[in-house]
Amino acid sequence: MTAEALVLARPAALTQRVPFMVSRVAWYALCGLLAVSMLLPLVWMISIALKGNGDINQLPPTFLPREFRAANFVDGPAQIGFYRLLLNTVIVTVLSTIGAVASSMIVGYGISRIDFPGRRFWFALISGSIFVPGIVGLIPLQHLYISLGLIDTWVPLILPAFFGSPIFVFLARQYYQSIPKYLDESATIDGAGHWMIFTRIMIPLTKPVWITIAIMSFQFAWNDYLSPLVYLQDAKKFTLPLGMAAFLSDQAGSQYNYYMATNLLFVVPPLVLFFLAQRYFMEGLGALGTIAK
Amino acid sequence: MTKRHRDTILGYLFVSPAIIGLLLFVAYPMVTSLYHSFTQWNGLTPAKWVGLDNYKFLFTSDPTFWPSLKVTVLWVVISVPATLAAGLALAVVVNRTIKGVKVFRTIFYLPVVLPAVAVLTLWKYIYDPTYGLANQVLTFLHLPTSLWLGDAHVALPAILIVGVWSVGGTMMIFLAGLQAVPEEIQEAAKVDGANAFRRFTRITLPMIGPIMMLQLMLALNGAFQTFNQVAILTKGGPGHSTNLLMYKIYNDGFADFITSPQLGYATAEVWVLFVIVMLVTVVMLRLTRSRVYQGEGA
Repeated sequence: MTAEALVLARPAALTQRVPFMVSRVAWYALCGLLAVSMLLPLVWMISIALKGNGDINQLPPTFLPREFRAANFVDGPAQIGFYRLLLNTVIVTVLSTIGAVASSMIVGYGISRIDFPGRRFWFALISGSIFVPGIVGLIPLQHLYISLGLIDTWVPLILPAFFGSPIFVFLARQYYQSIPKYLDESATIDGAGHWMIFTRIMIPLTKPVWITIAIMSFQFAWNDYLSPLVYLQDAKKFTLPLGMAAFLSDQAGSQYNYYMATNLLFVVPPLVLFFLAQRYFMEGLGALGTIAK
Repeated sequence: MTKRHRDTILGYLFVSPAIIGLLLFVAYPMVTSLYHSFTQWNGLTPAKWVGLDNYKFLFTSDPTFWPSLKVTVLWVVISVPATLAAGLALAVVVNRTIKGVKVFRTIFYLPVVLPAVAVLTLWKYIYDPTYGLANQVLTFLHLPTSLWLGDAHVALPAILIVGVWSVGGTMMIFLAGLQAVPEEIQEAAKVDGANAFRRFTRITLPMIGPIMMLQLMLALNGAFQTFNQVAILTKGGPGHSTNLLMYKIYNDGFADFITSPQLGYATAEVWVLFVIVMLVTVVMLRLTRSRVYQGEGA
């Protein structure tokens, strides 16, 4: 390449690269700003959780604790009865997650891989019921649970998950649709029945979607506030959301540092789970990207 | 037994949990609650048939129904477009192959991973007029402070801010949709001289149409049933400024349960809410469906 060509080539390369660099810098600036506004409330939570008892009522409030008080993470949970609430929540969450995954995957298999009369009808009904507001069921179901003697037990919080939540069935079905038919056909020729195909072929193949359902169902049960509020009365059976909210409305104010420290512990399990399973979660949600078909 | 028969039996066996679920958790409550909405019922003694009395009282005499409905409509009209727009905008921002994009995706999604009650009680403290972060930030920026949840004009927008802050779930679903848009079509349009805005409105938006529709339905459904935010942040106040219908139903049916259980009346309110949600959903489905199909040229 001659010197002349280099001189001529340079400005062109620069004009192409400069807007690219600018857009890159602007992108990082924008994302940084958004990230700060997303994280600020959480940093604030951590800061309160570490503050000393005198610090929290100090005016104007400081962002950094003057006295770091790590003991909040022991005293707070003790005051709120955190570990009992945690145990209750773990029991309810684990059982309902198992129920949600098993039932949604089984129903999803039946509705997308087995050819039987009426399956379109049932699928339409299941996906239609996604839009029936949950409040419709609250009063009749509460009455039903009362008459069955199941009120103030965890059954109303766990049982419904075993009947295939419509949104999860929908998600499972979308994913099953993307798996080629010839897989089952060749398995059938080899003599495998549907149960065998489901357990041996589909469960490994659909890992992203059932992990997604597990995470979503875990988050839902871990979070649920309205159902425990309606179905539980005995404070010994309360789940975390209920117990935390009750503590806040009872005695808030002076003990926000205890409260926030406990709140941070409350937040840890779903956070850890999300980070462990993040990759599958993205893949599973990707199935929604093909909803058009 | 032929294969066809076997498949029918097996098919129904596999799908049976959902069929039982539909009967138990959708059909049964719908039928009984429709009946109970025409009764006076305290949940303890047998229900007494009163015809349309509940509905008549609701529309003509209940002092809190119309304010509550007004706030609910306002909430839906503002929060649905706001969260959808914010979710889509965030998704567009993080739909790039660039270093660090995954970190930002995770940060934007973070508020959704955290338990709602933990997040809401945190925000309750953020909005504390004296000790809260919100007024601290305003003071820092030399802006006038606010009573936040204590101010009838600000309480609802304050709840909306929390909703927009935790819009990561909507972002993720939009992102899944954006990533399914084939790169080649974008490239071809670029070669044809279409600018970024044109490519977004003419290619991207129509192609994520179905996802947009799903998100719209979910957002509408969610907005009509907003409960946690009200129950934890404002308890419907100040005045009736945040007394969303869902919260009013809970109050009439459950919170006042010990003193004066009015399950029949609360059920009538449930049905009013249900009919509104269904009407809006059907209308929206009609409107968006014709749009989406035109966009795809089908």
